[in-house]
Amino acid sequence: MKALELQGITRIYERGARVLSDVDLAVDPGEVVGLLGANGAGKTTLIRIALGMLRPQGGEVRVFGLDPKREPVETKRRVGYVSEDQVLPPYLRVGDVLGMHAELFDDWDPALAKRLSERFELEPKRRVSTLSKGQARRVAVVSAIAHRPELLVLDEPAGGLDPAARREMLETALEFLADEGSAILFSSHHMADVERIAGRVALLDRGHMVVDQDLDDLRETTMLLRAPVSSGLAVADVRGVDGCLAARAAHEEIRALLRGTEAEVTQRLEPLQNGTPLHVAPLTLEDLFIEFVEGRR
Amino acid sequence: MTPPIHVHVSPNDDAPIYRQVVRQVVEGVASGALAPGERLPSLRAMAQQLAVAPLTVKKAYDVLEADGVIETRRGQGTFVSEAVARSTRSAVQRVRPLARRLVVEADVAGLDAHALAALIEEEARALENERASRGEAS
Repeated sequence: MKALELQGITRIYERGARVLSDVDLAVDPGEVVGLLGANGAGKTTLIRIALGMLRPQGGEVRVFGLDPKREPVETKRRVGYVSEDQVLPPYLRVGDVLGMHAELFDDWDPALAKRLSERFELEPKRRVSTLSKGQARRVAVVSAIAHRPELLVLDEPAGGLDPAARREMLETALEFLADEGSAILFSSHHMADVERIAGRVALLDRGHMVVDQDLDDLRETTMLLRAPVSSGLAVADVRGVDGCLAARAAHEEIRALLRGTEAEVTQRLEPLQNGTPLHVAPLTLEDLFIEFVEGRR
Repeated sequence: MTPPIHVHVSPNDDAPIYRQVVRQVVEGVASGALAPGERLPSLRAMAQQLAVAPLTVKKAYDVLEADGVIETRRGQGTFVSEAVARSTRSAVQRVRPLARRLVVEADVAGLDAHALAALIEEEARALENERASRGEAS
């Protein structure tokens, strides 16, 4: 059974704008999926729909086979959730926040909560309203994972944090992953983090799922073509090539993403070659993301 | 125990992380930094050290094992293969794509085949020297 299964999710604003168009996404138990997309691509909306916090106009949501709208308690028991804009009650003390979660979850593990609280140096007596962003995020993380969820959903877990706090967040997630083998779905703008933790990436572009692929496979079978504008190559020509995912003209260059190995892509581009060398090479995930988003406008 | 090899991964590399791990272990074996029979860190320890997912390290170790560079001894851990004398055929298979890439890069940079061959000779000599000095040191 899938940890999470979204099928044909469509969400439309009241004024008629589409936020999500027929989006599919599945997460297997133990799998780590990075959800990527520019701001406004629909990542947070998709995550909220997955957790039953928002209702889509079309499509099906299943969390471990359950409909989170119909069985919210059972779903929440098996899921942990941290988001960038999570608001903890400001008047409560840190210890009360954790105590409240301990009450809510039968599976709450006091030993794990204690270990994490110590590692994060949480001060139980502090009021939430006096915490820094990083401290508040740590409280949210302990609250989200001390019941050992089988699916952990993180919406920009490192958003707004400094690099050290970001690394701590990543290491905590990795350790949790190694210990529990839980599935993780997380959205992030930090491609370096995505690269370190995700096995698969899903890329949303303006409400459409345009990539859903094994990360290593994506990296090894997506090439960047670069050619000077002076080569006479046009964006339209490249877009016509088999396996072209995105193409644009930028900084006096034609840049295009093409599916295939270096040798395959080079061969496919041969008919377009007219003397000037076409440079085909693999690229980093960050560059891949940028070319995907910019080259599809 | 100090780790026998210092693996470093970078998201700015154009190869995925598991490939980077494979490459560095192979380089470690080639340079003599990793001796046959030497034990590699466990999946978990390596994953923690590199701050990457355990599955990524597993993938790297699987590739290395399939290539005969390392071997898993049940209940004992992962070791550099005693018989790193790999068959010539699989060695050629493994190196060919890298050779292709090198030739392409050299071509783009304006190096002809002779200049490239000279460069490779130089690097091979440098590797020999490194090995020799490592032998003296130990």
